Amino acid sequence: MPEVFIDGKRFEYEGEQRLLQFILDNGMEIPFFCYHPSMSAPANCRQCMVKIGQPKKDRETGEFELDENGERKIVWFPKLQTACNTMIADGMVVLTQETDELVERAQKDTLEFILANHPLDCPICDQAGECPLQIQTYKYGPEGSRFEVKKVHKPKRVQLGPRVILDAERCINCTRCVRFTDEISKSHQLTIMQRGDKNYPVTAPGREFDDAYSLNTVDICPVGALTSADFRFKARVWEMNQTPSIDISNGKGCNIDLWTRDNLILRITPRYNEAVNDHWMPDIGREAYKLFNENRVQRPAQKLDDEQINSSWNNAFETLAEKIESTDKKEILFIGSPHASVEENYSLMTLANLLGAKTPVFTTNIIEGYGDGFLLDDDQAPNTNGCRLLGLEEKDAKSLKKEVKSAKLIVLLNDNLIDREVLEAGDLNDKFVAVFATNRTETSKVANILIPVTTAAEHAASYVNVDKRIQRTFPAKETKYTDRRLDIEMSEGRLDRYGTSFDNWVTEDNKVDCIPFWNFVSQLGERLGLKIELRNGREILDEISNKIPAFSGVSYEEMDVQSGISLGGKKETVKS
Amino acid sequence: MSSADWKNYKPVLIPEIKDLHKIDVYEKNGGYEALKQVLTDKKKFDGPKSVIDEVKAANIRGRGGAGFNAGLKWSFMPPADGGPRYLACNGDESEPGTFKDRKIFEYNPHIFIEGALIAAYAMQITSIYVYIRGEYIDYVKMMEKAVQDAYDKGYIGKDILGSGFNVEFHVTYGAGAYICGEETSMLESIEGKRGYPRVKPPFPAQKGLWGRPTTINNIETLSCVPLVIKNGASWFSEIGAKNHPGPILYGISGHVNRPGVYELPSGVPVHDLINEVAGGMRNGKKLKAIIPGGSSTPVLRADQLEGVSMDSDSLREAGSMLGTAGLVVMDEDTDMVDVLWRIAHFYHHESCGQCTPCRDGTGWLEKILLKIKNGDGEVKDLDLLLDITTQMEGRTICALADAAAWPVRHTITRFRDEFEARCKKSVHAMA
Ligand SMILES: Cc1cc2nc3c(=O)[nH]c(=O)nc-3n(C[C@H](O)[C@H](O)[C@H](O)COP(=O)(O)O)c2cc1C
Ligand code: SF4
Ligand code: SF4
Ligand code: FES
Repeated sequence: MPEVFIDGKRFEYEGEQRLLQFILDNGMEIPFFCYHPSMSAPANCRQCMVKIGQPKKDRETGEFELDENGERKIVWFPKLQTACNTMIADGMVVLTQETDELVERAQKDTLEFILANHPLDCPICDQAGECPLQIQTYKYGPEGSRFEVKKVHKPKRVQLGPRVILDAERCINCTRCVRFTDEISKSHQLTIMQRGDKNYPVTAPGREFDDAYSLNTVDICPVGALTSADFRFKARVWEMNQTPSIDISNGKGCNIDLWTRDNLILRITPRYNEAVNDHWMPDIGREAYKLFNENRVQRPAQKLDDEQINSSWNNAFETLAEKIESTDKKEILFIGSPHASVEENYSLMTLANLLGAKTPVFTTNIIEGYGDGFLLDDDQAPNTNGCRLLGLEEKDAKSLKKEVKSAKLIVLLNDNLIDREVLEAGDLNDKFVAVFATNRTETSKVANILIPVTTAAEHAASYVNVDKRIQRTFPAKETKYTDRRLDIEMSEGRLDRYGTSFDNWVTEDNKVDCIPFWNFVSQLGERLGLKIELRNGREILDEISNKIPAFSGVSYEEMDVQSGISLGGKKETVKS
Repeated sequence: MSSADWKNYKPVLIPEIKDLHKIDVYEKNGGYEALKQVLTDKKKFDGPKSVIDEVKAANIRGRGGAGFNAGLKWSFMPPADGGPRYLACNGDESEPGTFKDRKIFEYNPHIFIEGALIAAYAMQITSIYVYIRGEYIDYVKMMEKAVQDAYDKGYIGKDILGSGFNVEFHVTYGAGAYICGEETSMLESIEGKRGYPRVKPPFPAQKGLWGRPTTINNIETLSCVPLVIKNGASWFSEIGAKNHPGPILYGISGHVNRPGVYELPSGVPVHDLINEVAGGMRNGKKLKAIIPGGSSTPVLRADQLEGVSMDSDSLREAGSMLGTAGLVVMDEDTDMVDVLWRIAHFYHHESCGQCTPCRDGTGWLEKILLKIKNGDGEVKDLDLLLDITTQMEGRTICALADAAAWPVRHTITRFRDEFEARCKKSVHAMA
């Protein structure tokens, strides 16, 4: 197998590989800015300098030439090379900053140049704390500054587009943002203007940077030059907790991180998953963070004289139980939801089965032509395939209306059927409607009983995306019902991880009064004398995996190891 | 013809023939004969490779500044595969002190066109682009006309002179950026993109214009080609300096009586160029320094010029380079701090801004030099300047950073006293 020597250590490699990526993949480090693993390597920042040589081969025999000590003779490149655009070659010898003084010096020199015109904005810069320039300066940069002349001034607070703001002085001209619009989102909306130290990215005159993926440039900008119009100045990164999750605003199921402080989700960023979304996500998925904080259903409500008024948990619980008991089971319609998780839909199904009611139905939320062939799919729901694989009955709007007509009691799991015009409020006029909802909507308004349930940010649960990949969430914030100390799915707080007291878990603020749907179902089952034990997402999925062949072999452990599991074959053709 | 015999030299690139820029006049004076020979005289030239061999043997060293053997460069083109291949002719001519290609555009455009056509044939090229600096808009128009005339006469186009050889010829121009003279930046610009130099490898011969094999040559380089074809490689290689033969368009500027472009053999002694060709120093002043080949080549003090001639070996020994043979002459009244600041200003203004060391280094150099020029500098700034040049050299995508660093390094080292004298006196007591 071909080999390469890095700082005296031998590595084997296969195929075509960029030296910088190879070094990073093998747990070593080289400072860099412009390189991004998913884009072309322009080698413009000149930060990843290393020393490179190739062994000398005898032209005739093809053998390596050896020196008097029996070591291979190395021919060094006369100049230092950038690791990012160097392809590894067999026998290559590489010296990094760890072993070569000139390399160390060159990296420091480049950082000195970058910092020369960089404003001292760190104390007020959103990027501080997660800034590659800051981090690499600490590690590899010069101490102090020899730059005693005037810095270049450029426009600050430029609204590049509706969601992205540019501070041109902070830009280090790595062209990552420009390459993103050229190579990834293909909107070609950005270019660098001017020359030399006057460089900065702009849109064409009169145009906006309104790319549906524009906020990815904020993520990949290695400095605080591009910031999110929505998030900027809201929180320092070290005040927030980062919890892995799944984008539930679209069927694609982009892998994301939820950033929490004081039980509020403050921003959403993409999380790398090569099989789903690489490093990217659409802007619209980031806006979904508001759904976790705003307009939530807080504590149960019951309708009295056409008006919903708050009720106690006990009262709501007892009313619903009595209603179920007193209704002919053939006249109960359970409606599942592609917007709810596998575990929630399964819980609904279990309840329906044990009661002897009909299998729950669901209606897809697909907007034909909405998808862009990249990370936005026609399917607006995160779990359409989950409902299908569980065996819920898929109904179009017309047949759902028919089902509704012949039912007396309707139990609806988190789906805004009225808002998305599948049903009309009038369809439900003479029915008793129990709605389990996360947010207040037109649909929640018609509920005779309204029960608040947890969102994807508050429970561990799984979702099957349009490509039939099952992926799961973690609770990112506490509710009034959960106790972090008792919930093994809760991610670590900063206090756990870093021993800092900037911890989002320590506050009682902003906890929503809601309950995981399966817990409600369990209690209801007990009250109704049914044998239901649904304790948490992990156990429910184990049960599903044992009972339903489509899910066999699936578990939280396995999903965590593989970043999600494909449940068979190709993407189901989307039909509405 | 030896360099010493330059007085008897008769210009061949821009000979004194009235209206030579007109295609009829050019033809009457033997124009397009070389192209005919190459395409149709099978006894003399047996296919493209024989043309490359002849040009290689002539040792035409690139007149764009780097001095690379043109024929050798042509031989790097991969074998033709039926797809498009390009010749990009560099007429961007923007290095301060360099103003020679314009003479060819103005007085003898067809010698360049003919040379480009021969090069195209030799490398089996399908399209030629000539890229002219935007400020030369008049020459752009003249070139467009000359190319059209050559099309009309059947020297460009399909089945040229019945040989079966086809080639297109496009005239393009820049928009005022020096960096677009750097060859790969020029390719980007021709493609209609922002003029950022490309990272090499891949080299243009592998992936040039639109990702296809491309060769880049300077206008003057290509203009030498018809001469080599007509008169033979040995005729050419015997003109002037042995290692850098052929006619050279010397662009002489600065404090001389007759600045201008002069065609002479390579290797003319510097003193002859100043004192005889350019009519001597203006106002009888004494010579202080020269920049021999465009602003990036290291400055030489008058006392370093004894016996030095304008060829690559001699100038290297003296501590500089031939570059574009754009000779800048400076008299005793010249303020070297001013000169260096002005050069640094140019490179700062022209850095494309891709590479960190160049983008931020060129500006830093200029700003310190301005400070020194204004009398606010300190001696430690001189050492800082030298440090900065070390941090820039050899660490960037293209050679602009080197071109910016060299003059600073060499001017400060060679005129250190003058720079120190401009610095503030130390405020620290000497022990
Ligand atoms: C910053 C920079 C500017 C350049 N400008 C020019 C130019 O204006 N004209 C030119 O012929 N070559 C220029 N060159 C050199 C070209 O890159 C290239 O070497 C040359 O055109 C090759 O032609 P030749 O081999 O015939 O000399 C420049 C190089 C650099 C690094
Ligand atoms: S704005 Fe950011 S990503 Fe874009 S070029 Fe500047 S530093 Fe790079
Ligand atoms: S060296 Fe300077 S001019 Fe050349 S590519 Fe880099 S930044 Fe641009
Ligand atoms: S990361 Fe290699 S040059 Fe920027």
